[in-house]
Amino acid sequence: MADFLTRHTKDPAQKKLDTARGRGAYEGFRRALAMSRQEVVAEIDASGLRGRGGAGFPTGRKWSFIHAKEGQSVYLLCNADESEPGTFKDHHLMTFDPHLVLEGVAVGAYAIGAHRAYIYLRGEYASIAETLAAALREATAAGIIGQSCLGSGYDLSVGLQLGAGAYICGEETGLIQSLEGKRAYPRVRPPFPAVHGFLREPTVVNNVETLACAARIMAEGAEAFARLGTRQSAGTKLISVSGAVERPGVYEVEMGYPLMQFLSHEAGGISGGRRLKAIIPGGTSVPVLTAEEAAPLTIDYESMLSAGTMLGSGGMIVFGDGTSMPHALLRIAEFYAHESCGECTPCREGTGWMAWVLRRLLAGEGSPGDLGLLLRVGDNIEGRTICGLGDASVQPVRSFIRKFRQEFEALAPLPVAFPAWQLHGHGPRTGRFGPPVEEAAQSQPVEGPPDYVL
Amino acid sequence: MLTSEGLEEIEATRAEEPSARHALLTALRVTQRERHKVGPEEIEYIAGLLGLSPAIVEGVARFYDQITASPTGQHIVRVCGGITCYLSQSDRVAQDLKGFLGIADGEETSPDGEFTVRLVECIGDCDHAPAGMLDDRFVGPLDERALRTISER
Ligand SMILES: Cc1cc2nc3c(=O)[nH]c(=O)nc-3n(C[C@H](O)[C@H](O)[C@H](O)COP(=O)(O)O)c2cc1C
Ligand code: SF4
Ligand code: FES
Repeated sequence: MADFLTRHTKDPAQKKLDTARGRGAYEGFRRALAMSRQEVVAEIDASGLRGRGGAGFPTGRKWSFIHAKEGQSVYLLCNADESEPGTFKDHHLMTFDPHLVLEGVAVGAYAIGAHRAYIYLRGEYASIAETLAAALREATAAGIIGQSCLGSGYDLSVGLQLGAGAYICGEETGLIQSLEGKRAYPRVRPPFPAVHGFLREPTVVNNVETLACAARIMAEGAEAFARLGTRQSAGTKLISVSGAVERPGVYEVEMGYPLMQFLSHEAGGISGGRRLKAIIPGGTSVPVLTAEEAAPLTIDYESMLSAGTMLGSGGMIVFGDGTSMPHALLRIAEFYAHESCGECTPCREGTGWMAWVLRRLLAGEGSPGDLGLLLRVGDNIEGRTICGLGDASVQPVRSFIRKFRQEFEALAPLPVAFPAWQLHGHGPRTGRFGPPVEEAAQSQPVEGPPDYVL
Repeated sequence: MLTSEGLEEIEATRAEEPSARHALLTALRVTQRERHKVGPEEIEYIAGLLGLSPAIVEGVARFYDQITASPTGQHIVRVCGGITCYLSQSDRVAQDLKGFLGIADGEETSPDGEFTVRLVECIGDCDHAPAGMLDDRFVGPLDERALRTISER
């Protein structure tokens, strides 16, 4: 296990400013303040840090895109929406080391020349927002954040905003819209947030873990971070593992750490002495891996990519044998159908249809062409939407069907009289999500989980 | 309509932010917390408070799952139905909990208006599957003991 970020998260006293400072909290910020903005950006760039929110975009590069014109204000937004199913690492970090997160926000804000930053938390994290608010009060009273941070002459204020229950607020432009008091409808890009973000001003959106890494990099130097991990994946990664493992939880590992070793050591092995069936390595938005595919992989961007999946958020969901993959997929597909914001048609309609076709397959009412139909609907979503949720919704559907085909084929009934499209026609829609109202009402919900126990 | 504490919270946000619109989400959250719903009356009220059109307030309110048009109970129990929790049979847990609290099938709220039980998407506490929340507190795993604790509140 690595401890670049989580060195002190085991100690409840770490939440207190005195304790945290005794261990070097805000020294990274102090060092940054003694440097020019450009030097801080260069240092983060040299460290090789890539975004931990899912896409893995190089953080130093993202920061270097900010070029404020005369009279413009720059904003840093810390993305603490964390709603990707299976992901709870930011929850852990903010709860146990709130000052590290605040320090990261301060470093990021200074580096891009922002004097106002926000931490946007999902609505369910209200108790965590209180932890952060308490830490912020302490840091403000101590002169670390506020006017002339640490006596440097640099001013920074930090706002906390809670969401109110919508996955799409984690998408960076959805987050901006929500912060502006609007529906979180993502924005068409370009223009990118670096040019037109919050209040149409230059804005950077970074994940909680990314900013925490930046704080530690400023404290320890780029070299200390770059030394960890692999060539393309510097540093460490927080993995939140859940599902069929003995010790679910948040673990920090050095990038390049063997996946199977992680499962057996950190996660304590597959629960109930069962065998591994499948793993989703980075939240439900990335393709699933079979046990065979997962066996040789290591935890880093390039290894996951070589297997056709992604490290994503590091939200690892483990499936033991006996799990019904079609049922699992239906639950995931329903999530996307529910969370599609409805702004663009392929995603709004497609996610609803994918869930609906899966539901009828599982209810024993499917048609022979349904698997093909699911894949086709997916193809018609991918690459045709405003934000990444549409693409994300296709990854589980496609990968589950291709990799666990037999389980899905076992559900498909023998040929019946009419093809699917005629059966469900183009009748009235709900206005959101695919299926006609009356038929959706008639279709029976699938009875509880099938015959497996975790 | 709101307590002075709630009003202060909204006012503080409004004072800090560039425009009244930016306090809307906070106003909706505070109203939901205190009134347990944001229906037509509350929408009118918030619109008046922030100087926004009711249509704008309603449009935003109806986008977010935690803001509800019909009233919830005094306490809300969220049972996670996300993928990990689903695999640990959280929908059965929700069913059991409803039984404990005397909530009828097809209903979400107990007859005395104390509790609402709601199956929700992943709440970011998957290592405690089947995860759940009692109001703003994480209370997973929802084993028999946790269910009793909730029902005795
Ligand atoms: C549908 C959707 C949901 C997302 N949810 C989150 C989230 O909850 N937290 C997060 O940090 N990034 C999330 N992202 C990624 C953000 O858009 C953005 O890329 C990220 O916050 C950038 O930070 P980073 O560069 O530090 O990774 C989401 C993206 C999409 C398309
Ligand atoms: S892809 Fe889906 S979630 Fe994203 S903007 Fe379009 S409808 Fe909304
Ligand atoms: S799936 Fe239940 S908390 Fe994440």
